[in-house]
Amino acid sequence: MSAAWRKALFGLGLLLLLAPVVGVAFHMPSFGDHPLPYGDAINEGAPRDRHVSNAVSAVNFDYRGFDTLGEEFMLVTAVTGAVFLLRGSRGEAVTSKPGTLPNRPIAARSDAVWLISRLSGPFLMMFGLYVVLHATVTPGGGFQGGVIIASGLLLLFLGEGYRGWRHIMHSTLLDILEGGGALLFALAGLAPMLLGASYMQNVLPLGTFRDMLSGGLMPVVNAAVAFAVLAGFSMVFLEFLEETRQPDKQG
Amino acid sequence: MTALLPWLVAAWLAAIGLYGVVTSRNYVHLIGCLTVFQSATYVLLLCVGYKWNAGPPIFYSHPPGTPAVDPVVQALVLTDIVVGATVAALLLAMCVQLHKRKGTLDPETLRPLR
Repeated sequence: MSAAWRKALFGLGLLLLLAPVVGVAFHMPSFGDHPLPYGDAINEGAPRDRHVSNAVSAVNFDYRGFDTLGEEFMLVTAVTGAVFLLRGSRGEAVTSKPGTLPNRPIAARSDAVWLISRLSGPFLMMFGLYVVLHATVTPGGGFQGGVIIASGLLLLFLGEGYRGWRHIMHSTLLDILEGGGALLFALAGLAPMLLGASYMQNVLPLGTFRDMLSGGLMPVVNAAVAFAVLAGFSMVFLEFLEETRQPDKQG
Repeated sequence: MTALLPWLVAAWLAAIGLYGVVTSRNYVHLIGCLTVFQSATYVLLLCVGYKWNAGPPIFYSHPPGTPAVDPVVQALVLTDIVVGATVAALLLAMCVQLHKRKGTLDPETLRPLR
């Protein structure tokens, strides 16, 4: 399809959309000044019924935990797809040679990069762990913390270089964490059914308000999400970095 | 006017994202535009859940019962940002394979598979 056709088709679609969009725009509730019954109910119920001070985590891991299970499987599927696409054409072998571009020599890593990455990488991972562990208390949770830990791992790549990094990152371990996270989430949902409760009903003792382990089932589900997100992002980093390597001579 | 501004930001992000998708000549650029369009939905959701003179829906330093914004939309946005990043990675992986096979990322020069 040519560019002109593409724009014409877009214009046509825009014209069709215009009437409903304008109709909705003039009937929007005023910003910040309309009732939020669902949100208010959760803000009231999370501290009282679930002993949890972070209402966002309460929504994610308890009240709408079933939705988060769907999101988690979306994440696992997307990561599996990306890994499958990249690894499928390249094979599973670990390559040793860095990829090169013509007229672009590989510069040695400077001491500053090495020092800063070695200093801040572990700190970042520790901060990520803190964010994961305090999911039900302060802002944070498995999703954010998992991404922070994965970025810490990427900083280690900057500091240690490819070979040192591959030495730390075990592909099999990441696979296990990724699938295991999703499995743990599903099992945490199914386990209450053995006790005759509903799927994902919070049957564990709820703990004390503002305590790290408050929320009953929530810390378990949170850990499952953190494992899956951490491993998923690390796998994507690993596969894309592997893509920059020179393929070994194949027959 | 200040009450209108957040909606306008969402609309603007959606508009430039969509325009970029339509006129894109490179799939990597197109994925970037797609994530811009996606962030319009995040701004819109956060706008819907906002309440004047309300704090965050975290009752650690202020006691439960203090006015707080809607946690439901925040949870939606939070999970979607993370999942959206992996979906973008999946799309970029497709771009890598496409470039390996066809040597181009321009949608105009690519023909449908037969």
